[in-house]
Amino acid sequence: MYLGLKEMQHEKLRYALLSGVLLLIALVVFMLAGLANGLSEGNRLAVDQWNAQNVYLNKDANKTLSASQLKLADKKYLTGTDIAPLANLSGTLRTTNNKLKTTTSALGTTRDSFLMPTVLTGHQINGKNQLLISAALKDKGYRLGQKVQIGTTDQKVTIVGTYAASTYSIAPTVYTDVSTLNRLKGSPITSGDQQPINAYVTKNSHFKTSKHGGLQRFSTESFINNLPGYSAQNLTLDTMIYFLFVIALAVIGIFMFVLTLQKQALFGVLKVQGIGTKHILAALLTQSIIMALIGISISLVLTVGIAQIMPASLPFAIDWPQFGIYSVALLLASVVGALLSWRTVAKIDPVVAIG
Amino acid sequence: MNKSVLTLQHVDKKFGHGRTAVTALKDANFEVQAGQFVAIIGPSGSGKSTFLTIAAGLQTPTDGQVILNGQPLTHQSEKQRLAYRFNEIGFILQSSNLIPFLNVLEQFKLVDKMAHRKFQQDKAKELLSELALTEVQNAYPSELSGGERQRVAIARALYNDPSVILADEPTASLDTSRSIDVVKRLADEAHQHQKAIVMVTHDQRLIEDCDVVYQIEDGLLSRRD
Repeated sequence: MYLGLKEMQHEKLRYALLSGVLLLIALVVFMLAGLANGLSEGNRLAVDQWNAQNVYLNKDANKTLSASQLKLADKKYLTGTDIAPLANLSGTLRTTNNKLKTTTSALGTTRDSFLMPTVLTGHQINGKNQLLISAALKDKGYRLGQKVQIGTTDQKVTIVGTYAASTYSIAPTVYTDVSTLNRLKGSPITSGDQQPINAYVTKNSHFKTSKHGGLQRFSTESFINNLPGYSAQNLTLDTMIYFLFVIALAVIGIFMFVLTLQKQALFGVLKVQGIGTKHILAALLTQSIIMALIGISISLVLTVGIAQIMPASLPFAIDWPQFGIYSVALLLASVVGALLSWRTVAKIDPVVAIG
Repeated sequence: MNKSVLTLQHVDKKFGHGRTAVTALKDANFEVQAGQFVAIIGPSGSGKSTFLTIAAGLQTPTDGQVILNGQPLTHQSEKQRLAYRFNEIGFILQSSNLIPFLNVLEQFKLVDKMAHRKFQQDKAKELLSELALTEVQNAYPSELSGGERQRVAIARALYNDPSVILADEPTASLDTSRSIDVVKRLADEAHQHQKAIVMVTHDQRLIEDCDVVYQIEDGLLSRRD
């Protein structure tokens, strides 16, 4: 401890530079993690908000919502509580004069379904051609009472309410009832139980009989993992983050090794005087832990700061438990990096310090 | 009659095997008592360094015995030898064995830190004033003159209260007047603190103040009368 601390005090620049390198690595880790979280949240936030257990899709849809074709009547195969139909239209939300244009994920369900978000301003859907919008869209300039179009049909709907920000497939969501959504889609059937939908989302359900009518049951987690691009994107970013841990280990390891080689004569003198490998390694560990702690804490502060000034369009989310785990991983990488010099320190022969 | 602190009995040290074997020490007998300042004088390559490393427990003799305070040192583990060097031996090395990133007082503090005890500041300051170093107590080794550095090394060696102080060419990097000063200090400290001090040197001019002088040549150690 004492040796390590005193050396850092005396060689401030050298150790500050090394802390700086660790700071940059940690910063990249946290920025990537924040972006990965933001992107993944942008993909799945709406699904998380449903708080559902299972999703039923057409078994031929390859687990993809937009490719799944079901009918409202397919409910007859299911039994349980909280079973809600879900129709999806990915399209451009626009005002009638085309002043505002935004890509959205439009979701249709029954007016009293548990999927319907809690309204913050305005009122619930209580009639034809009404639309609820995510708070993010309100920030963009859409307002209550405004007539808007979605997709390419001439069908107009009126914004009647807003709810807490929600996204699906990196696009803000809007909610309406199934009939209205089908009218927006230009579907030939816009009433009755033959209307097309994409999925059934449920809290607690199972198949009534062994006849599944072409439906397939998925857990919400598996549904999320099969969102288009979701797993590939997470895997890419996670791999980059894991690789950065290896880089942190290598940087600390190489720097500490070079410093150890430089200080071989000094370590020899220490050993002659009865200050052994244990104490020298303790000094190296003290130094690497302190440098890692400095680098990690400053980069955490910077990450929080950068998140404040980042444009809102950039998906970025701080997940503190995850950041905690990554901080510990970086710390461990530094400790292991310092331990790489163990053999070199142990092999230094004190005899060289004499004669 | 003073008691003998460090004794070497019939010590041999060979390096290598067979035809290429080199004998660095041959049947060396040596003794130093508390309060004695002993010089071992010899040209380079005579076996001086080997003598020191064996006395310091850095190497084990091929044959013979090293006895410190009546206890033989042979067959000690690496850990025991480390503790032996830390507790029983004070070192003064050729150039300097000071830690470059510690100031003079901290050199002493390090010893206490390693021994897990409180810093004996009064003791350190007393030694420093004895060796006329009070003014430089907050200086780093790079800010000291060669003579000051060796004086700090002497104080540092005395600080841990070792049984023996081994000085390896302590004047190698000093001019004559400074060398004589350092050697006089060593002699004073040996007599004043009743320490056994062994100095290895090649410099004939420095033996005036020594109580006993040994000569070493080609691995043969002999006492000068």
